[in-house]
Amino acid sequence: MSIVPKETIEVIAQSIGITNLLPEAALMLAPDVEYRVREIMQEAIKCMRHSKRTTLTASDVDGALNLRNLEPIYGFASGGPFRFRKAIGHRDLFYTDDREVDFKDVIEAPLPKAPLDTEVVCHWLAIEGVQPAIPENAPLEVIRAPAENKIHEQKDGPLIDVRLPVKHVLSRELQLYFQKIAELAMSKSNPALFKEALVSLASDSGLHPLVPYFTNFIADEVSRGLNDFVLLFNLMHIVRSLLQNPHIHIEPYLHQLMPSVVTCLVSRKLGNRFSDNHWELRDFTANLVALILKRFGNTYITLQSRLTKTLVNALLDPKKALTQHYGAIQGLAALGHNVVRLLILSNLEPYLSLLEPELDAEKQKNQIKSYEAWRVYGALLRAAGLCVHDRLKIFPNLPSPSPSFLHKGKGRIIKTEPLKRKLNVDSSENRSPQKRLITTDGLQSQHDSGLAPMQEDKPAGNENPPQNSVQPSSSEQTSDASESERRNARGKEGGKGRRAITKKAILDQIWKDDLDSGRLLLKLYQLYGERVLPFIPCTEMSVFI
Amino acid sequence: MDPEQVDEFVMCYLKKKGFNSAAKRLEEVLHQNNGSSFSSIDYHNDPELTKLIRSFSQSEDDPTRYREGYSKLRSWAYNSLDLYKHELLRVMYPVFIHCYMDLVGKGHTQEARAFFNSFRKDHEMIHIRDLQKLEGVLAPSHLEEMEFARSLRQSKVNIKICQYSYDLLLQYLHRTESTLMLGIINEHINFQVYSGQPNSASDDIEAVTIVGSFQDTANHINQKEIQWGLLEDSLEDRLEKTGGLLSDSEKGQGESKDGDMDDSSKKRSTEIGKQGSSIKKLKKDKAGNATAKVARQETSMVSLAPRVKPELALPVMSTDVEQSILEDLRNRVQLSSVAMPSVSFYTFLNTHNGLNCASISHDGSLVAGGFSDSSVKVWDMAKIGQAGSCALQGENDTNDQIVGPNGRRNYTLLLGHSGPVYSATFSPPGDFVLSSSADTTIRLWSTKLNANLVCYKGHNYPVWDVQFSPFGHYFASCSHDRTARIWSMDRIQPLRIMAGHLSDVDCVQWHPNCNYIATGSSDKTVRLWDVQTGECVRIFIGHRSMVLSLAMSPDGKYMASGDEDGTIMMWDLSTARCITPLMGHNSCVWSLSYSGEGSLLASGSADCTVKLWDVTSSTKLTKAEEKNGNSNRLRSLRTFPTKSTPVHALRFSRRNLLFAAGALSKPAS
Repeated sequence: MSIVPKETIEVIAQSIGITNLLPEAALMLAPDVEYRVREIMQEAIKCMRHSKRTTLTASDVDGALNLRNLEPIYGFASGGPFRFRKAIGHRDLFYTDDREVDFKDVIEAPLPKAPLDTEVVCHWLAIEGVQPAIPENAPLEVIRAPAENKIHEQKDGPLIDVRLPVKHVLSRELQLYFQKIAELAMSKSNPALFKEALVSLASDSGLHPLVPYFTNFIADEVSRGLNDFVLLFNLMHIVRSLLQNPHIHIEPYLHQLMPSVVTCLVSRKLGNRFSDNHWELRDFTANLVALILKRFGNTYITLQSRLTKTLVNALLDPKKALTQHYGAIQGLAALGHNVVRLLILSNLEPYLSLLEPELDAEKQKNQIKSYEAWRVYGALLRAAGLCVHDRLKIFPNLPSPSPSFLHKGKGRIIKTEPLKRKLNVDSSENRSPQKRLITTDGLQSQHDSGLAPMQEDKPAGNENPPQNSVQPSSSEQTSDASESERRNARGKEGGKGRRAITKKAILDQIWKDDLDSGRLLLKLYQLYGERVLPFIPCTEMSVFI
Repeated sequence: MDPEQVDEFVMCYLKKKGFNSAAKRLEEVLHQNNGSSFSSIDYHNDPELTKLIRSFSQSEDDPTRYREGYSKLRSWAYNSLDLYKHELLRVMYPVFIHCYMDLVGKGHTQEARAFFNSFRKDHEMIHIRDLQKLEGVLAPSHLEEMEFARSLRQSKVNIKICQYSYDLLLQYLHRTESTLMLGIINEHINFQVYSGQPNSASDDIEAVTIVGSFQDTANHINQKEIQWGLLEDSLEDRLEKTGGLLSDSEKGQGESKDGDMDDSSKKRSTEIGKQGSSIKKLKKDKAGNATAKVARQETSMVSLAPRVKPELALPVMSTDVEQSILEDLRNRVQLSSVAMPSVSFYTFLNTHNGLNCASISHDGSLVAGGFSDSSVKVWDMAKIGQAGSCALQGENDTNDQIVGPNGRRNYTLLLGHSGPVYSATFSPPGDFVLSSSADTTIRLWSTKLNANLVCYKGHNYPVWDVQFSPFGHYFASCSHDRTARIWSMDRIQPLRIMAGHLSDVDCVQWHPNCNYIATGSSDKTVRLWDVQTGECVRIFIGHRSMVLSLAMSPDGKYMASGDEDGTIMMWDLSTARCITPLMGHNSCVWSLSYSGEGSLLASGSADCTVKLWDVTSSTKLTKAEEKNGNSNRLRSLRTFPTKSTPVHALRFSRRNLLFAAGALSKPAS
C-alpha cells in the first residue's frame, strides 16, 4: 500500500541499532515514513522555487529539513547534480556513486582553479521589439514561436546571419588518401595506379568529407595548370569519378566545380605542346558537362541556363579562338538536341560564313589554323547532324521494320503512309545513293550496315585529322555553298537525278509532316550538302539495306 | 410503527452486527417485560427492511462500498446528458477525495490507496497538485495533521449547479439507494442551485479550486469596498500640470526645449550608462523625443483613474529626486501593441547555480543579486557600462572577465545574512536595498555607504519576498510562516501582520496608491490586504498552482499574477474576477511588470523567455466577450528567447525601457 515497503523500515531500523522491531510496527511505520518524506519534499520544492530553480538540489532538501527543525543530512551539498547508478538486477533501485577516495590523493592533488567570480554583463535582448542578432541572444534558428507575429518580427528586423565557425575534423586516413590522390594527379608518372585511384574515387563510400578539399584542389590546379595538359585531363577524370560516386552528395559543390570544368572546355589554350590532344580533353569535358546536366539539371535549375549562356557567348564571339569555338560547340552539343537546334542551328549560317575563309586551304596558309577550322567544321556538322537525326527519329515510319506492320499501325502512321509507299517504291534507288554517297565522299570503304555511314562519318570528323585535312583538298576545293551546288549538279548530271529527286521527296515529305524540322533539314542540306545525309535516314536505311 | 416492531428491528440489527450478548440481553429484557414469546417478523422476506438493515450494517465496515458507490456514480455521470455532464462531473472530485479520506480515516489504508489509484486519472488534469498532497495521507493521524486535508474535511465545497442537473443527481442517488454517496455529498458539498441552462464548461474557473472554506468567506470578503484609485496629487498629476505648461511654452521655445531634451537624454544615457554603441543611444533618444509629447497624452489614461487619499503618512520626497522623476515621466516612450519597448538584459555569469533572486533599481542602473551563500551583491551598471562598453563593442566575448577599475571585483558585496537570500528590492531612488533571507531576517543596506543599516527580525520562518512601497520608507515582506508584514524603515517591529493564507506566502506586491498590498501564496490564491486596517479585502481564486509573481497595473485597477505552471492571470481588483488567463509560458513565471502607462505586461519565465502581452486588448475584449460570449484567445505580442537564461527579474523603467535580469544557467561552451 505504501510505496515504502516494510522491509525498508526493517533495514533502516537495523541500521540504527533496533534489532527487535516488530513486523506490525514496521507495517505501521511505513505509511508514516512515506508521509514524512512527502512532506519534506513539498517543503524542498518550495525552497527550490524560491531559489528560482527548476531542478531540486540537496541544498533544497536541507532547507526543507531546516524548516521542520530537523538536522540536515550532511555530505551531499556538493552543488552539482547527483549521478545515480542503477543497481544491477533491480529495476527501480538506484544509488549514488560514492567512490572511495584515498586521503593521500586528495591531499597531494593540486589545488583546483578558483571559480570565476560572478559578474553581470548587459546586452540588448530587443530594440523596439526586434531582437538584434548578436551572439548574446538566442540564435534565430531557435525561434520557432507558434505565434505568427514572430515571423513578421523576423522579417522586420535588420538580420545579420550569425554563423559560428564549425570545426571540421578530417581523420588522418582521409588526409593521407587526399594527399595520395593529389600526388598521383600531379605526378602523372603512374597511369595504371591513377586509374585504380579513379576507380576508388568513383566507388568508395567514405569520401564525402574530402569533397570540399577535392573541389578546392581541382579549382586551384585548373587555374594554375592550364599549360599542363595531362594534369588537366587527370583533374577532369577526378571530377568524373567524383560525379560517378554514388555515396557522394556533390550538388552543393557544383558551383565550385563548374568553372573549372567549363575552363577545360572552352579555354583558349589547354596544354603547351603541339602533341597535346586538347581536342580529346574538350570532348571528354563536354561529356562531363552532359553528365552533370543530366544528373543535376532538374535540381539545380540555373545550371543549364548559366552554362549555355557561357558557351554561346564563347561561340558567338568572333574574337575568340577556334579552339574555344570548338569547345563551345562540343559543350552545347552535349547539352542536348534542343539546345543545338535553338542555339547552334539558328546561328549556323552566319557562323559558317565566318568559318569559310578559314576552311579554305588556299586562303588560310597556316596549317594549324586550317586544321582547327576543319575541326570546328566537323564538330558543327556533327552537332547539327545529330540534332537532325534526332528530329527525324521521332517519325515512327523511319525506323519501322516492315510496312505491313505499319499498315496495321495507328493514325499517325497512316497519315505518313504516302511517304512510306514512296519509300518502298524507291527502295532500290534509295540504297544505291547511299552507297554512292559514301563512295563519292571517298573516305572509307563501303559498308553494308546501315549504321555504318554514321559511324564512319563521325570518325571522319573527329578522329582522323590527317584524312580530314586531306578531304577538303581532294574532294572539295571550293567553298561550302558552291560545293553543295556542285554536288547537287553532279548528282543530277551523273544520271542519278532520281536520287536527288528521291531525296527531295523525302525532304518534302518531312517538311509536310513537320514544318520545322523540314525547314531545318533543308537549310542544313543547303549548308552542308550531302554530308548531312548520313545523319538523316541512317536508321531508316538500315531497314532497307 | 408499533414498539414491538421497533424492538425487533433493534434485535435484528444487533444480531446482524454480531453483538450477540447485547442481543441476548435485549431478548431477556423483552421476555421479562411482556413474557410473550418472541414473535418474529420475517425480515428475510421483507426486501425493504432487509435493504435498510443491510445498509446500516454494511456502511460501517465494508470499504468496498466506497469503491462500488463511487464507480457507479462515476459511470452514471459520464453517461449523463452532454449538456449537464460537466456540471455533474464537477461533483465527482469532492466525492472522490472525501471517499478517499473516509477510507483513510477508517484505517482502510490498503483499500484507500487502491481506490485512489484507480480513479486518480480522472482528476489529474485539473487537480494534480492536490492529489499529490493527498496521496501521502495514509493514516488517520495524517488527516488531522495535514492542514490541507483538515480544511477539506471541515469545510463544504460550493458547487454551482443548475436545477435540472441537481434534480438528476438527487434522482439518481435516491433511485439507486446509494446512501453512502448521498451522505458524502450532503456532508461536504454545498449546492448552489440556480434556475436556467447550465453554464458552459469553460467558465467554471471557480469550480476548479476547492480550497477549504474559502468560497464562502471569499465571496463575503470580496463584497468589501476598495479604493483602487491612484493617490491624489501624485507625480503624474503634477506632470500633467507641468506638461501642459511645457507644451504651451513649446510653441515659443521649441529649440531650447529640444536642446533641453538632448541634455536630459544625454544625462540619462550616462546614468544608465550601459548602452554599447552610440548608435543605439541615438536611436533610443530619437524615439524618446518623438514620443515624448504623445506620452504626455497617454498619461491621461492613468489619470482617468479616480483619486484617493493616502492612508499612510508618506515620506516627503526631496525636490531634486522629484525633478528627476518628473523628467523621466516626461520622456517616457509610449508603448502599445505596435510600439514595442527595448529590452536590456542583464546576464549573471558564473553564478554556479547560486543566484536566488535578482532585482533592478527603478532607473535600471543598479542590479542586485541575492545568493544562496548568504551574500547580496550589487552592481552599478553605469560604471560597468563604461568599463565594459569596449568589451561589448570589441570581441563580443561574454566570457571575458570585466575587471573593475581597481583590478578587483566590480560589485559591492553585502555580507550579513546567515542563510540563502531569497529576495532583494531597491528603494525608488535607489539609495537603499532590502534583502530577505532564510535566516528569518530582513536587512536594510545603504548603497551609498555599502553597509548594513538595520536588521528587521519578526518572521519566524524564511522570508520569501520583500518589496519597497512605491514611495519608499514602507516595505512589505512575506514568509513561510504564512503571514505578510508591513514595516517602516525606522522601526524594527512590524507595523502590521497580515494573517490568513493557508500556506506559505510566496510573493508580495504594493498597490500603486500604497493603501493595499497583494500577496500570492502556495494555497493558490492571491489576497489583497488593506494596509491601514490589516484586513483581507479581496481573495482571488483561480490559480492551479503556487503563485510566484505579482504585478499591479499603474492605474491601480488591474493585477497580474503568475504561477508555477506558467499561467498568468489578469484580475480586476474591484470585482476580484479573473479577466483572462494568459497562457504561453510553459514553466514558472518568475517575474511580471507593467509598462509605465499600463498598456503592456512583460513576463519573465523559467522557460528562458520574456513575453510581452497586450493588456489593453485583453481588457477590452472581455467587454466584447460579455456581449457575444466569445472565447478568450492569446494576446501574446512578442516572445524574446534568451540564451538559456531563465528570467528572474523584470522592470520597466520610468521611461519605459524594459530591464530584465537572469543567470546563465549553463556555462557557455
